[in-house]
Amino acid sequence: MNQMSFVAPEPRPAAVPMAFSGGRGEFRRLVSRGAGLELITAGFYRFWLATDIRRHLWSYTSLDGDAFEYTGRARELLIGFLFALAILVPIYVVYFLVGLEAERLQAFASIPLFLFFYLFGQFAIYRARRYRLTRTVWRGVRFWMAGSGLGYAGRAALWGLLMALTLGLALPWREAALERYKMRHTYYGDLQASFEGNGWEFFKAGWWLWLLAPVALMVFPLAPFVYGAFKAVEWRWWLSGIRFGGLSLTSTLRRSALIGLYWKVIGWMILIGLVFAAYLFASATLAARISGVPFDHLFGKQMSIESIPFLALTVVGYLAYVLAINVVIRVYLLRDLWVRLLVSVDVQGLQAVDNVAARGELSNALGEGFADGLDVAGF
Amino acid sequence: MDSEFEAAPPSPRPGGLAIYFDGASNRRRSVTLALLDRLELQEAGQATVAWRYADIRRADSPPGLLRLTSLTAPVLARLEIRDAALAADLVSRCTRLDDNAPGRRGVAVIVGWSIAAAVSIVAVILFVVPLLAERLTPLVPQAFERRLGDVADRQIRALFGGRNCDQASGQAAFNTLVNRLRAAAGMDVSVEAAVVATPIANAFALPGGKVYLFDGLLAKAQDPDEIAGVLAHEFGHVRHRDATRMLLHNGGTSFLIGLLFGDITGSGALIFASRSLLTSSYSREAEHNADGFAIDLMHQLGRSPKPMGQLLFRVTGKEAGGLSILAGHPLTEDRLARMTEQDRPPTGPPLLTAAEWQALKAICAVAK
Repeated sequence: MNQMSFVAPEPRPAAVPMAFSGGRGEFRRLVSRGAGLELITAGFYRFWLATDIRRHLWSYTSLDGDAFEYTGRARELLIGFLFALAILVPIYVVYFLVGLEAERLQAFASIPLFLFFYLFGQFAIYRARRYRLTRTVWRGVRFWMAGSGLGYAGRAALWGLLMALTLGLALPWREAALERYKMRHTYYGDLQASFEGNGWEFFKAGWWLWLLAPVALMVFPLAPFVYGAFKAVEWRWWLSGIRFGGLSLTSTLRRSALIGLYWKVIGWMILIGLVFAAYLFASATLAARISGVPFDHLFGKQMSIESIPFLALTVVGYLAYVLAINVVIRVYLLRDLWVRLLVSVDVQGLQAVDNVAARGELSNALGEGFADGLDVAGF
Repeated sequence: MDSEFEAAPPSPRPGGLAIYFDGASNRRRSVTLALLDRLELQEAGQATVAWRYADIRRADSPPGLLRLTSLTAPVLARLEIRDAALAADLVSRCTRLDDNAPGRRGVAVIVGWSIAAAVSIVAVILFVVPLLAERLTPLVPQAFERRLGDVADRQIRALFGGRNCDQASGQAAFNTLVNRLRAAAGMDVSVEAAVVATPIANAFALPGGKVYLFDGLLAKAQDPDEIAGVLAHEFGHVRHRDATRMLLHNGGTSFLIGLLFGDITGSGALIFASRSLLTSSYSREAEHNADGFAIDLMHQLGRSPKPMGQLLFRVTGKEAGGLSILAGHPLTEDRLARMTEQDRPPTGPPLLTAAEWQALKAICAVAK
């Protein structure tokens, strides 16, 4: 094995950018087709769509000329979901009974039980991240993750409590602490990652947004600007804090980089909403004409809809509406966001990953199943 | 093999350069490919790895790059070929290159199984859940049912802020009415009734035997028999334990529909709409039975059930025309017709005196 020839080490630039080469049209076709199949399969296709989206994003992403690869398969997600279901259903039954007992003493007393689901959600986020990471491959070596999902959930809950007590002011330190936990348990082969970002830097970059947030919540057109700027500051801080041994990332994401994305999503939402409203009006008129029922009789008391053709048209329209919104969100807030973040990143110290030995086992998709069942998402 | 090679015309040996990641480390190994009877990966002129063509599978890669792996190689070993001609040559030799990829047929299989799963869940909702609700309802302990009722009671109060009307003489008249109905039906005091100050014209029964009459319905009533019929109808729901059955039925249905859409808690507008569509025929039957109970009870008291039908008709108006399969109650005119059919001249004394009736009508008036 010793006489193997390697590619001659060429003089390298100090920083290498991350690159994305995928076309927008291809992604749009992928998610549109996926949305249609989700409709036909009553949502079961979501496992295959999520997998296809990740395969697309990963394989068009490259570092130093080598593209990433996503090796996860939809079948794993499906099995993870089914296992999560088998675990969550009894928990829900117990939750219902405990909640009933608590509610009897005091109306809405069962709300603290949501804390339990918050913890469970954080656990799911950690385990889902571990699944995705162990399916991420670069140069024939996978990323992987150690640490404990329960330990993470406990930390997240305590920091969450602190954040609630400080009205969100503790957010930068919470994120820094949680990212340090996640990243120090993250590995690429035998190379351990770490997180160098600290809460103070994040706070310095974003405190004025914290002050603006109450104003932005009142004044509608301001909210997307403040939120977009906040996300940009957060992403930039997060990306710039990532280390893999001697390799480090720097992001040059501008504060204004994401605001346009959010406005485009809002614009599309309004447009799709208008089309949906027009469609509802047209189908109500049509149903009224066909069945001979006066227009205002289509809506019964308590807004129950009393015409079968109209109800059928409404359900079809509603499904199309939801799917269209899903396509918009996936194109802008998944693909476009991904690309904007990626191209903002420069990687220094690539020689640190020149000779990494493969390590780490695959983890199961149970966490993804929990995250799907509990409707939580995280990165 | 040898003779074949001797017979073949001399041609440049097919092959070319590629990058190999061996799956043990991430070093880029520059290899020369030799497309022989097997694919040989050569380094410094020596074959280090050889893959059978039938074992070679495609891995995800961006366009312009052919990325291969082999069943016999380490899981993450990757061979990357950028030379288009070499890639095409190699692809033509690997017969089972795309065996792992889900193709058009794979999608059809997913769609088929998903539709089968959806059909099975809908069948369970339509046939198994009502049956289960029917069988399980008698098994729910009374104490548990009452507890459910308490919870629902508190939440309704917290949400609507409706206070109980308890103006003294009105309350006395209401108690008289309720006691007479309760006695005739053979029900004990665990069945409670109260008037709630809400302008909506409605009445309902909670699990465990709490019956609420909304002031809005009382305001529209013109005769004690009308209100007595409505209360008797609600007592019918209590006797048949319809609220509990409905809870089991709706709970099971929303849970299964939630399962279908991947949301275990069962929320969302669509889910709500489909649930109301699927459960309406069930509650229609329950309403019919409660009407039957009310008719019998009124007959027992020597009063006619017709006024109740008239009150309902006054509240809802004529309903025919709209397709009302979605309406929770049967058509009001059908109910009125049924109660008119059961109309009998009163044989018993009036349930309330004129003075008591006036007091009951004013039960919510004082505290304002």
